[in-house]
Amino acid sequence: MTHVAFREEDLTLEVDYVVVGSGAGGATAANALARGGATVALVEAGPWRDPADYPSSTYGAMRDLFDGWGVGIAKGRALWPIVQASCVGGTTVINCAICVRTPEDVLLEWERDLGVGTKAWREGLWKHQERLEVELCAEVVPAASAGRSNLLAAKGAAAVPYDGHPMTRYVKGCAGSGQCLQGCKQLKKQSLNLQFVPEVMALGGTVLSCAPAERVLLEGRRAVGVTGRFREPVTRRKGGRFTVRARKAVVVAASVTRTAPLLAASGVKHPLLGAGFRAHPGTGVIGVYDEHVDMNVGATQGWASVQYRVEPGMKLETLSIPPEMIASRLAGAGAELVARMGDYRRMAMWVVALRAEAVGRVKRGVFGEVSVDYGFADADMRRLRKGLALLARTHFAAGARRVIPGIYGLPYDLGPDQVGLIEEGPLDPRAYILISSHLFGGATMDRDPARGVCDEYGRVHGYEGLVVADASVIPTTLGVNPQHTIMALARTFAERLLDA
Amino acid sequence: MVTLYPRSEQFPGIEDMALDAYIAQYRRECAPLMWAGFVLGTVFFHITPLFTVYIPLPAYALSDEDRERHAQRLVSHPMYYVRQPVFLLKMVAGLLWGADPAVRARLGLAPYPADPGTWRTS
Repeated sequence: MTHVAFREEDLTLEVDYVVVGSGAGGATAANALARGGATVALVEAGPWRDPADYPSSTYGAMRDLFDGWGVGIAKGRALWPIVQASCVGGTTVINCAICVRTPEDVLLEWERDLGVGTKAWREGLWKHQERLEVELCAEVVPAASAGRSNLLAAKGAAAVPYDGHPMTRYVKGCAGSGQCLQGCKQLKKQSLNLQFVPEVMALGGTVLSCAPAERVLLEGRRAVGVTGRFREPVTRRKGGRFTVRARKAVVVAASVTRTAPLLAASGVKHPLLGAGFRAHPGTGVIGVYDEHVDMNVGATQGWASVQYRVEPGMKLETLSIPPEMIASRLAGAGAELVARMGDYRRMAMWVVALRAEAVGRVKRGVFGEVSVDYGFADADMRRLRKGLALLARTHFAAGARRVIPGIYGLPYDLGPDQVGLIEEGPLDPRAYILISSHLFGGATMDRDPARGVCDEYGRVHGYEGLVVADASVIPTTLGVNPQHTIMALARTFAERLLDA
Repeated sequence: MVTLYPRSEQFPGIEDMALDAYIAQYRRECAPLMWAGFVLGTVFFHITPLFTVYIPLPAYALSDEDRERHAQRLVSHPMYYVRQPVFLLKMVAGLLWGADPAVRARLGLAPYPADPGTWRTS
């Protein structure tokens, strides 16, 4: 078992496969390759933090777990932060481990429009998802640890009415500590730093942490390894150079915002590299109730509705956030803002994640930071208003006294007879505070090399031994949380590599 | 930051917290771009009272009431790129204020344990 963290000395390794990135895609691919008997090196830009190392505060989470403090932004008319992690286990450490199988209509669309997948390919994907659910202990959020916010959402949806359900998550016996976003110190969430990565090491693999890859090494059109320099997590001081040579293939799973820029920096040529960025941008409506909700008690996310996933294209879900995040989310400043925070215990926040039509482009920022050009169309804004209005109605149906829409130009809070103001709210994205999560694209799959960067097994068109195995390959939005799809795709790609 | 999160009957203000130590820590630990944004946001806050409360003084020289009025006008300004720098200040200050044990106690939450800031080194 070998783990190499930051070091001053240079390091050279040779393995069968090197995998860049240890999140949902990378860890799953590395794990499948190691299980198949290959020697594997997993190269992760961030440090390895065990549950004892996890922070508790949001400041600590941004510092210790988020990629670049979360300063990556999607830039269009508005600036929206991109939330993803940089640590061993990747975003599986800071997400809510929501487990939803890839919808059939999405896979059929890929086959019909892009030539990606066949019936056998689709069934193989779902088979992997079945197995992953068992391996990672997927469970429905138990009522005992759901918390009031999640229970109120269920009550509200039933009263509106529309379909909703307790979430299924990769969480074994949720303790309801409300700390998913800071890493689960209760060891309940099955993040991949606790699951697949240790298994890679147990099977003889090597994990390099604090090791941001700078380049994929190419010999002609064949990928033969990766190189970079170790980086100390606190001071960001550079250490020794690492070079991992791959006898068989290089698998890149560095995240949607990092994979395409890494390939471009390595000299991979494709006109669509970085293109096709898509997301499920989200924002929330806060309901204020007469009684205490205490949203930070219970599962951070425990309830969802996918009834409107296809039409108009959105997912509704709960999301509990701590006071330090709510403070900047509420309008106002000074005594007014502090007084508003007095309602925190009576607040429940529910969000709409939009299946946006907008398409953007991933690129490397001027200072090497994550940067995405991503403009929103009016159609997306209309959909967003619809989702926010539905959330407001759900709050009122659940007993909220008022809602806080968080939309610039609207009153701070609204009563039940004012929901129409949300539906007719501004179409300017700058009036909303959104976060870009669930990212897709940048190296999308398409059977035709002229229309996509990768084929249906993540192999980069025109190159040998170079595979992309993260959400960069996903060519459309899914309308559901993507972790389950990313892992199943990564396992499919890894098994194809082993078969070859 | 003191203007954004002042002391109230219900909550302590950010002035009651270890603000200087926090800013020093933030400067040491945050990404350079975030620090640059924080500095620019602070400068912006201080040089703009003329355009919000129509007083030709920097914000630090205003009375508490005028400074709060200035802050409120900035955060509710119709121009997005006027609101955003103050949004960043609000967020950075909120990370300290909202995590303070006394604030959390008043919200029925246990204090946060210290963030260890550690990782596997071997």
